[in-house]
Amino acid sequence: MDNSTILETRDLNLWYGQKHALIDITVRIPKKTVTALIGPSGCGKSTLLRCCNRMNDLIDSSRITGNVLFNGEDIYDGHADAYAVREKIGMVFQKPNPFPKSIYENVAYGPRIHGVREKGALDRIVEESLKGAALWDEVKDRLHEPALALSGGQQQRLCIARSLAVEPEVILMDEPCSALDPIATGKIEDLIIRLARNYTVVIVTHNMQQAARVSEYTGFMYMGELIEFDETSRIFEDPGEELTENYITGRFG
Amino acid sequence: MAEKFHAELASLKGDVLAMGCLAQGMLHRSMEALRTQDAALIELVARDKQRIADQDHEIEQKCLRLIALHQPMAKDLRTIAASLKTITYLYRIGRYGKDIAAVVPELADAPHAGGLIGIPQMADIVEGMIADALVAFEREDLTAIRGIEEREEAVDALRYSILRECLACMTENPETIARCTNYIMIARYLERCGDHACKIAEKAHHMVTGERIEIR
Repeated sequence: MDNSTILETRDLNLWYGQKHALIDITVRIPKKTVTALIGPSGCGKSTLLRCCNRMNDLIDSSRITGNVLFNGEDIYDGHADAYAVREKIGMVFQKPNPFPKSIYENVAYGPRIHGVREKGALDRIVEESLKGAALWDEVKDRLHEPALALSGGQQQRLCIARSLAVEPEVILMDEPCSALDPIATGKIEDLIIRLARNYTVVIVTHNMQQAARVSEYTGFMYMGELIEFDETSRIFEDPGEELTENYITGRFG
Repeated sequence: MAEKFHAELASLKGDVLAMGCLAQGMLHRSMEALRTQDAALIELVARDKQRIADQDHEIEQKCLRLIALHQPMAKDLRTIAASLKTITYLYRIGRYGKDIAAVVPELADAPHAGGLIGIPQMADIVEGMIADALVAFEREDLTAIRGIEEREEAVDALRYSILRECLACMTENPETIARCTNYIMIARYLERCGDHACKIAEKAHHMVTGERIEIR
């Protein structure tokens, strides 16, 4: 693992019961970049994403072989703590899922669990996280209103703020715009690009144009395998594999 | 939707080829008019000027619509990009045909000097280059444009020799200045048409392989 790689999988295989969902995935995610995973439904891209912060641990029938290295250390090592992993590798889901609490409490929730009690410190974290998620200006005067009163796009940015509050290094996003309108989608895309200055973002998306717009690297997956991983411009302008070309030009999928 | 898009893409290539036929026709007829002084041909080329402008406009619109509606990727995108560039080159070729036809009447008052001083030979090569570049675009067959660079060099050499012959002619007999100036212009137009054929070949190459080449 070189210095520029933050997350790496080596010969990663995953089974859900009898189903072989990920097959020999070896990939390196460069630090402070946006990497997109694309591919048809059921190809394993969300499964791969969830392997990166041990979310698949929550599925009883899943079984895994190979390695997932975060900063050179195997997150599936017997000594690794899944909660500590998820603190450093945050996740944002398809549907915004704020807690039924105030905007402030949503962001303060994580730091509180990690022992931050002092109000001044919490206020600072909430403000910085909301600024980081480009939401502060829209909510600074109503921090104690219910989060569920926000629009869908604002709720999604709140979820991003919530993940930033625990100071992660990597943010995994599983189709973060699929439930949003084009304007809210545009804001999230701008935010993703900005986040990559300080964080590493890995995004699963069905929207190829979105992958092309926001990411620097793209992986194309098909039936559990990573078919091609390269710079995004190369993948979308002149892919190396015929399967990738056929997928992105709509000839199957 | 993908099926409809690919059908539209095939139809776009058909439109580019139709425009190619028109541009080739304009150039060919202008050379024919130069040889025969046929006024009907000159009229025909002049009339095609508007048609080729219309086709250029329509195909460009079609390309923009395909990009906006389907946001194409990879080879599909390269095909549209190649089409957009190719129609500009074809439009220029057609316009040179019109420009050549426009000077034909000025050359009517005397027989052509020295069998047109190599111009027909130059036109043959250039027309072949345009035809082969369009074959490469249509069939995505790059063997058609193999050796186009050498033909381009031959065209350049012919243009230079025409220039020298005309200079000699004009020095010897100043009465031929007007006539020879037109020959020099025509040779220049043909050489530019050859350049455009090379550019079409470059775009076809990029469309097929994704790699850019430069044909000098």
